[in-house]
Amino acid sequence: MTGNSGTAAQGPGFSAPSVGPGAGSSTALELRGIDMHYGYVRALDQIDIEVRQGEVLGLLGDNGAGKSTLLKVMSGAHQPTSGEIRVHGETSAFASPADSTHAGIQMVYQDLALVDAQDIATNLSLGREILRKGPLGWLGFVDHKAQRRRSTDELEKLGVRTAAMTRPVEMLSGGQRQVVALARGATRVSGLPGDDEKRGILLLDEPTAALGYEQTQQVQSLIRRLADRGVACVLVTHNLPLAVAVCDRIAVLNRGRKVADVPVADTDNDQLVGWITGARPSMFV
Amino acid sequence: MTIAPARTAGAERDKDPAVIRSLIFVRDRGIFVLWALLLIAFSIWASPYFASVDNALLIANAAALTAIFAAGVAVGIICGALDLSIPGTAALASCVCGWLITHGTPTWVSIVAALVLGALVGAVNGLITLRGFNPIVVTIGTLSVMTGLASVIVGGYTVPGLDSLTFMGTQRYLGVPAPVWITAVLFVAITVFLTRTRDGIRMMAVGGNPEAVRRSGIHADRYKVVGFVISGFCAALGGLVTTALVTEANPAANASIIFNALTAVALAGVSLAGGRGSLPRVLVGALILGTISNALTIKGIQPYWGTAVTGVLLLGSLAIEKWVSTTVSRRLVQSAHASVHTGTR
Repeated sequence: MTGNSGTAAQGPGFSAPSVGPGAGSSTALELRGIDMHYGYVRALDQIDIEVRQGEVLGLLGDNGAGKSTLLKVMSGAHQPTSGEIRVHGETSAFASPADSTHAGIQMVYQDLALVDAQDIATNLSLGREILRKGPLGWLGFVDHKAQRRRSTDELEKLGVRTAAMTRPVEMLSGGQRQVVALARGATRVSGLPGDDEKRGILLLDEPTAALGYEQTQQVQSLIRRLADRGVACVLVTHNLPLAVAVCDRIAVLNRGRKVADVPVADTDNDQLVGWITGARPSMFV
Repeated sequence: MTIAPARTAGAERDKDPAVIRSLIFVRDRGIFVLWALLLIAFSIWASPYFASVDNALLIANAAALTAIFAAGVAVGIICGALDLSIPGTAALASCVCGWLITHGTPTWVSIVAALVLGALVGAVNGLITLRGFNPIVVTIGTLSVMTGLASVIVGGYTVPGLDSLTFMGTQRYLGVPAPVWITAVLFVAITVFLTRTRDGIRMMAVGGNPEAVRRSGIHADRYKVVGFVISGFCAALGGLVTTALVTEANPAANASIIFNALTAVALAGVSLAGGRGSLPRVLVGALILGTISNALTIKGIQPYWGTAVTGVLLLGSLAIEKWVSTTVSRRLVQSAHASVHTGTR
């Protein structure tokens, strides 16, 4: 998916049609004119950004550039001062993370948010437990076997192997934990009932921050695979090689402004570093 | 010792390496082994008096009270909060029940009222804690409030002559004392709740990582309150059983019950950080305390040694726990096999 260079020329205020020529898929998440103020601090300044189904968008920027804030706006954890959010073309307002979850957006946090003492199946099933059939189910009894089966299936579909479903998460290595956290987000976005066309949106905050080389490779191909299944991914990272390897398009933020938005194929490390540090002028002035 | 190749065939990958499984066994079931060893050792050492059915019932009966309070403490800790108000709740429940009975209320109504009161105290504890206060300080506060109220209700004196409660005190059914039955039912109920039901599993998850539960779209706060409610209920039940055993209600909160209970809970490897622990292990923890003091009594040794031995066991169990978890994590790093098997790029 490298033929969508049309988006690169987008400036602030330019409202492009949501489906660019040659992209072959519709816009999953679209943000227009997002402003975010903390008191006198302007954390985000007129951000326009969008991510298509099956696309991996990388968000790069130095510390304090606003990429985490932007991600939190997307996940509903923060409400923007002004601006518009559209999910699959529909204008949405997120009052809380629950709203964005409902709209099909899942966030994988840097701290993973796994329950250490519980096993993999329970972690993957939290909030969508399978109850037993019959009277025991009415009493709220959980069908552990069915949950394990479903979790195995889901991980298998993602093409991931970690460990026995009954293994407590605390006994997993860093990479395995990251894979479980990713899978938890992934199974929830791609498991949207009914509407196969509207695949979910996955927000990833530094998914490889704590990982070694090999584990980073694994997470990287998992993200790619999710995108190939139609999930729209937004990836916040400091890891430039990762971003270049896994993303279709990269947007760079600098002090709250978007200074670049280019297909990976049309850029290189030097350019990106230039935008990140501010040495290279913004594409949009 | 080397780890067998972790994944040789399709069937193999669902199993952990044998070494890790045995380490997990030590961590999860070690206390049962410890208890078995103690039983065997004492059977030989304190023969012939120790190994008899009567003595077993004696131990079970002695451990029952500790176990009931330990259940309350354990549920609180598992759910993420150490409930120190348990002695106060127990005293209040006992005094309310005693006062009601001496003022002509039917016994069963008085018992139900006391248990409901315990649950209510738990709910209040929980709701205050949700406002962002430290649960330990909150429950120390409610401990004082409850103790004070208990004294106010009975005018500062014990309420004697509560003979109608003996059915849950000294009475035996099928040869087994009532407190043992009560403890058994309580532990089965809580264990099933925590491991088999959706609410129980979520409650444990809240204790382990409230943020993870919240991000799954679940009201984490609700489950925190449930933990306190169960803990308050256990405290009230323990207070009632104590009252039934001595047939009088005492307004003085006995702080030592919380320390005995905590010892049993800690011995059972329930982490104070919350989110983990199993009730059967807590029960065995209480039984170990009872077993040790029983054997020492039989041998005519000063009971102070029992306290000292228990402390040593507790520290020992900490050391084993630490050793197991570091060994497991070291082994797992060696054998980690997260893999993504059909890469597309």
